[in-house]
Amino acid sequence: MTERDGAPAAITILLVEDDAPTCWRLQDALVKAEYEVRTAGTLGEARQALNARAPRVLLTDLRLPDGHGIELIRETRRRFPDTEIMVISALGDEESVISAITVGATGYLLKDAFPTDIATTVRELVAGHSPISASIARFIVRRTQTTAEPPPGPALNTARLTPREIDILWGIAKGFSYAEIASHLGLSRQTVPGHIKNIYRKLEVHTRSEAVFEAVQQGLIKL
Amino acid sequence: MSEVAVKPLVTARARLRLARLVPYLLLQVLIVIACILVLRLLQPSDPDDFALSEFTQLEDGVTRPVTLPHFTNSRYSLADPPLYTGSFTFRTADAAAWSVFLPRFSNAVEVAVNDVVILDSRRDATANRPDRNTPEIAPIPSALLRDGANTFTLRLFVWGPLKGFLDTVYVGPDESLRGAYETRMLLFVTLPVVFSAWQSILAVILAIMWLMRRHEPVYGVLAIAMVLGVIQAFLPPPVPPAHPSRLAAVLLASAPIESALIVVFAVLFFGWRWPRYGTLLFAPGLSVFAVGLVAGQPLPRILFLLLGIPTVGICLLLMAGVTATAVVRRQDAASLTLGCAVTIVLACWGHDMLSVFEILPNERTFVSRLSYSAMLVAIGAGLTWRFARALNQVDSFAGQLIARVREAEDRLKASFAREEERARAAALANERTRLMRDLHDGLGGQLVSIVALSERGADGRPIADAARAALKDLRLVIDSMDDIGGDLMLALGSWRERAAAQLRPHDIALDWHVTTPQGLPLHPELRPWHVIQIVRILDEAVTNAVKHAKARRITVTIEMLGGAPQDQRGVISIADDGQGFALPIDGAGNGEATGASQTARGLRNMKSRAGRCGATLELDSSPSGTSVRLQLPQRFPDSDAAEG
Repeated sequence: MTERDGAPAAITILLVEDDAPTCWRLQDALVKAEYEVRTAGTLGEARQALNARAPRVLLTDLRLPDGHGIELIRETRRRFPDTEIMVISALGDEESVISAITVGATGYLLKDAFPTDIATTVRELVAGHSPISASIARFIVRRTQTTAEPPPGPALNTARLTPREIDILWGIAKGFSYAEIASHLGLSRQTVPGHIKNIYRKLEVHTRSEAVFEAVQQGLIKL
Repeated sequence: MSEVAVKPLVTARARLRLARLVPYLLLQVLIVIACILVLRLLQPSDPDDFALSEFTQLEDGVTRPVTLPHFTNSRYSLADPPLYTGSFTFRTADAAAWSVFLPRFSNAVEVAVNDVVILDSRRDATANRPDRNTPEIAPIPSALLRDGANTFTLRLFVWGPLKGFLDTVYVGPDESLRGAYETRMLLFVTLPVVFSAWQSILAVILAIMWLMRRHEPVYGVLAIAMVLGVIQAFLPPPVPPAHPSRLAAVLLASAPIESALIVVFAVLFFGWRWPRYGTLLFAPGLSVFAVGLVAGQPLPRILFLLLGIPTVGICLLLMAGVTATAVVRRQDAASLTLGCAVTIVLACWGHDMLSVFEILPNERTFVSRLSYSAMLVAIGAGLTWRFARALNQVDSFAGQLIARVREAEDRLKASFAREEERARAAALANERTRLMRDLHDGLGGQLVSIVALSERGADGRPIADAARAALKDLRLVIDSMDDIGGDLMLALGSWRERAAAQLRPHDIALDWHVTTPQGLPLHPELRPWHVIQIVRILDEAVTNAVKHAKARRITVTIEMLGGAPQDQRGVISIADDGQGFALPIDGAGNGEATGASQTARGLRNMKSRAGRCGATLELDSSPSGTSVRLQLPQRFPDSDAAEG
C-alpha cells in the first residue's frame, strides 16, 4: 500500500461531504496537491467506495443525509486499520471532534481552511503526524483534572494517559510549539508527534464492547 | 378602664379565692382530726398486767407517795436526783427471765433491783434525746430476784429546762415486755434514723441541683435546712454532767434556723419575692446560736426552749399561710401536698406543746420530729413532681424545636432552590446579553457586510475575507464559552493557531515568546467576556499589522511582571516590523485615506475593550514598526466597566 517512491498521486483519499460547494473546494485543494480523491455525498456511497478499495486517508463530515459519520469512522477503523481518518468540521468544536477521536479519528480539518493548509495537514497525517489543535488538547487536559461531577460533553476516558502525555497536551493547549514543549519537558522534538499519536490511540474506545459503542452512540444522539 | 368596671372584677376574684380557700381549710381540719385520731390509735400499747405505778418519791428530802406517770420539777443539777422506790412480787415458779421496761422517761434513769443497779440510761446516747421518746429495757439477773417481794428503786435525772417525767414502769417476764419495747424502738428510734438517712440523701441531691443551677437558690436553701436536720439527728447529744463543745451544742439547737430556712424555701419555691423584713425570722435562731457560742450550758437550752420552739411554731404557721395562699393562687398538686404536710407538722407541734404544758396528761410523746419527716416526704415528692414536669416540658420543647427546625429547613431549602433558580436565570440572561453583544460586534457586522458586498456584485475576494472573518469570530465566541479554569494561556493557545492560519497566506511569520513556562498568572475570576475582549484586542492588533502596516513578522511576547504570586500581572505584547502609522489625533477628520480612519477606529475599540477588562493598553508606532502592549489587571472586574 505504501509506495514511497511513486508520485503523491498514489495516495488515495476518500472525501465524504454532502455539501457540494464544500466538497468541491476540498477536492480542488487536494487534487491540486496531486492526491487521488474520490468523493461521496452520503454514508451509502461512502460504504460502496470503501468496499471497492480501501483509501489511504478518509476525510468525512459527521452529519450525512443517511447517517452519521461516526459510524463510517468506526467501520473504517475496524476494517482498514492502516487508513488515516480525519473529521471535516465547520467549527472544529470539541463535541464532534472528540466523539470522532474516541472511535478512531486522528484530528480534524476545518472546512474553510486555506488550500495549502489542507494539503499540508493531509501530507503530515500520511507521514504519521497526527495533528492536534489547542482547543482539542485543552478539552482533553481539562478532562484529566478531577472534578466532583462529570463535566458536560462526550464521555472521555483519560485514565490511561501518562503524566508526560498530559504535560504535552498542556503545552499544546497553551499554544506552545512542539519544539518549545520538547525543550520544556526535556524531550527530543521528533518524539512529540509520536506521543500525540499515542494519546489518540489511548482515547480511542475499542468498539468490540457493544456497551461502549452504545454509550458513544448515546453521546452522539445528544449532538 | 373605669372604677365601676374594676370593682366587680375584684369582687369576682375575691369570691373565687374564697371558693378555693374554704375547701382547702376544710381539708386541713380533716387532716388535723385525722392526726389526732392517728396519734390516739397508734399510741403503743403497753403490757398493763405488769405495770408498776405505785411509788414513794424522795425529792429534796421530802418523801411522798406518787402514782406514775409522774412529772417532777425542772432542775439543772444531777446531784441528789428524785428517787422513786417501789416493789414487785416475783415467784420462783415462773422460771422465765424477767426484765424492767421503761417506755418513756426524761431525761435519764438509773434503775436498781434489790439495791443492785441494772440500768443507767445515760450511757445510751439515743436515750438522752428528749425529742426521741427512747424506751429502755433491762433484763434483771435471776440471781438478784428473790421469791416474793423485791424492791425497785429508780433515780430520775433531770436537766432543765423541761420538767422531769417518768411514765409507768413495767416489770415482768421478758417475753411479755419485749414486744412493746420493740414497737416503741421501731417508732421512736429506728424510724427517725430512716427519715434522717432519707433527709441526708435529699440534702445531697438538692445540693447538686443547686450547684448545677445556681440561679435557683431554692434548692440551696432546702439543702442547708436538710443538712442542719441531719446534723441534729446524728450528732450525739451530750450526757450531763459532761459538757459538749459549744459548736455541737448550738448545732443541736439549730431547729429554729432550720424551720426559718424551710419558710424561705416555701417562699422561693412558689416564686415569690422574699419580703424585706423576712430575715428577722432568723433572728431567734441566730441569737440562740450566738448565746450558745458565748455562754455555756444550760443557757442555750433555756433559750432554745424559750425562743427556738416558739420560732418553730411561728415558722410553721407562716408556712401554713404561705402554702394556703399558694393553693388558692396556683391550685396545683405541689402546693396542696406541701400544705397538707405543713398541717400535719403543725398538728403534731401543737400536740407536743400541749404535752409540754401538761394539758395532755399522762403522756410525753414528742411527735414533731417524726412529723417533720412527713413534710420532707412531701417536699421530696413535690420536687420530684416538679422535676418530672420540667423534663416533660423539655421533651415536648425539644420535639417542637425539632419540628420547627425541620420546617424552617424545608422553607430554607425551598427558598434556596428558588434563589438558585433565579440566579441561574439571571446568569443565563447575562450571558445571552453578552453573547448577543459579542455576535453583534463581530459576526453580525461581518454577515451584513457579506450581504452588502454580494448585492453590489463585488468579486469573490472581499466576500471571502468577510465570511472568513465571520467564521473566525464565531469560533472565537464558541471557544471563549469553554471553561478554561482561569488560565488565559489556554485561550491564547487557540488564538495562536487561528492567528497563524490567518497569517500564513500573507506570508507573515508569527513569533511566539513565552518568558515563563506558566505563561500568565491564573485568574479564577476570568469570565468568557473577558476572554473575548482580550482576544479581540489581539485580533485587532494582528489585523492592523496585516492590513495597514505591511509587516513581515509579528512577535507576540507573553510575560509576567511582579515577583510575589499575589501581585503578578500578565503582559501581552504584539510587535510588528511594519511601517507603522501616525497615531490619530482627536478631531483630525481631515479626509484621510479610509485605511487610516479604520485604524483609528480600531485603536479606539482596542482601548475601550482593554478598559472594560481593567487592562491597560499602550501603543507605540514608528516607521520601524508598531507595538501594542496590553497589561492585564491583577483582578478582572466582575461587571462590565462600560455598562455602568
